[in-house]
Amino acid sequence: MKVSLEINGQAVETEVSAALRLSRFLRDVLGLTGVKEGCCEGECGACTVLLDGKPINSCLMLTFQAAGREVTTVEGLDGSSGLQDAFLQLGAVQCGYCTPGMLVAAEGLLLDKSSPSEAEIRHALAGNICRCTGFETIVQAVAAHAATREGACR
Amino acid sequence: MSETSVAAPADLAELRAMLSAVAGPINFIGGGTDMLIAGRPMPAVGLLIDLSRIAGMAFICADDGGIRVGGATTVAAIAAHRGIATRLPALAEAAAQCGSVQIRNRATIGGNIANAAPAADLVPVLVAAKARLGCIGRDGASRELAICDYAPDRGFLIAEVILPRDGLLPRSAFVKLGPRLDLSISRLNIALLAEFQDGRFGDVRIAAGALGPRPLRLRIAEAALAGRKLEHATLRDFLAALAADVDAAIPGRNSQAYKRRAISGLGLDLIAQAVGLSPRDQLFEDVVQ
Repeated sequence: MKVSLEINGQAVETEVSAALRLSRFLRDVLGLTGVKEGCCEGECGACTVLLDGKPINSCLMLTFQAAGREVTTVEGLDGSSGLQDAFLQLGAVQCGYCTPGMLVAAEGLLLDKSSPSEAEIRHALAGNICRCTGFETIVQAVAAHAATREGACR
Repeated sequence: MSETSVAAPADLAELRAMLSAVAGPINFIGGGTDMLIAGRPMPAVGLLIDLSRIAGMAFICADDGGIRVGGATTVAAIAAHRGIATRLPALAEAAAQCGSVQIRNRATIGGNIANAAPAADLVPVLVAAKARLGCIGRDGASRELAICDYAPDRGFLIAEVILPRDGLLPRSAFVKLGPRLDLSISRLNIALLAEFQDGRFGDVRIAAGALGPRPLRLRIAEAALAGRKLEHATLRDFLAALAADVDAAIPGRNSQAYKRRAISGLGLDLIAQAVGLSPRDQLFEDVVQ
């Protein structure tokens, strides 16, 4: 079936099969390999994308369900915003597998709430699992970035 | 074998027409958060209807009467809704504790019911609130049934969840116990709706999940609280009653010994939340001595 949607600001029109997951479409068809399919059951969050600005698990959505909507993957995040730099500077990345999902989930949080508390950051990232860092530096990176972004807005 | 085809009706009228016109098998997908889990079979034939974009299936109406929630309303929308937080805080609490941000943004109340998981977090609240379901049958016609009479294999689509005014009580609470704080499938969850005035309980309804194939009312515990003053003796009777409810629900199951003890802590948290006390209040400390 034919589906039109917007991905990272670009209009995309494509033919997809009914059962194609959004995560597979993004990775395999469009080559957006920042989207990782870790568990395919909504536990790990490595496939997190923004759907109309809100974080979702792209493995738990069929591509045709995204018709007419806006999808943002890590490739579509503004790399100059500083969130990614904050991850690098605070050592919030080790193997890197969870990082795209973490970044997208964090971006979703910051779109909703510009200066989240540590508890709110942890709650917002609870759907993203990292096996390396112990989460501490990830939470610090999101908090540090939120502080600079908030400062820049004033 | 023909391949699955898909449809995304724009509104309820189009959906009803589709249901009565299509002869073959029909399956529905809402948020997909339970349906698309790896390893679960996807429908191989027939029509797959997307419910997540139907106008008129995602709404919350919490005016002066009861509360109505569209079947495709997301759990995130329920968790964030001010009217629900005021009228039935237990439902907002259950929604907030369901899954992760990502899951709450897609999962729907209708899906939480239709997936029929024993540990579904919203369902104990709905059972305790005597919810009714506005359903659409394969003939496209509407019918209403009590949530306790719903079975997922009867082919009814849940168009809306109706919480009648006389089912709501002034106080409500929801607590759950899982393997971790967030994104966890409940090992036990409990919802309570109650009247509570001048330190005394009036009518009390309690329902729990993960104590059987479907959430059930805890009648022994309800009787231990109803009409009684909030004091040590009442709470001790309440905890004994909760254990008795567990014993009656899952006799001989491996988890019985654990759950009959674990439910004490949950039960006290439930009361604390319902009456607005800290769970660390001395009253509760005294009872578990």
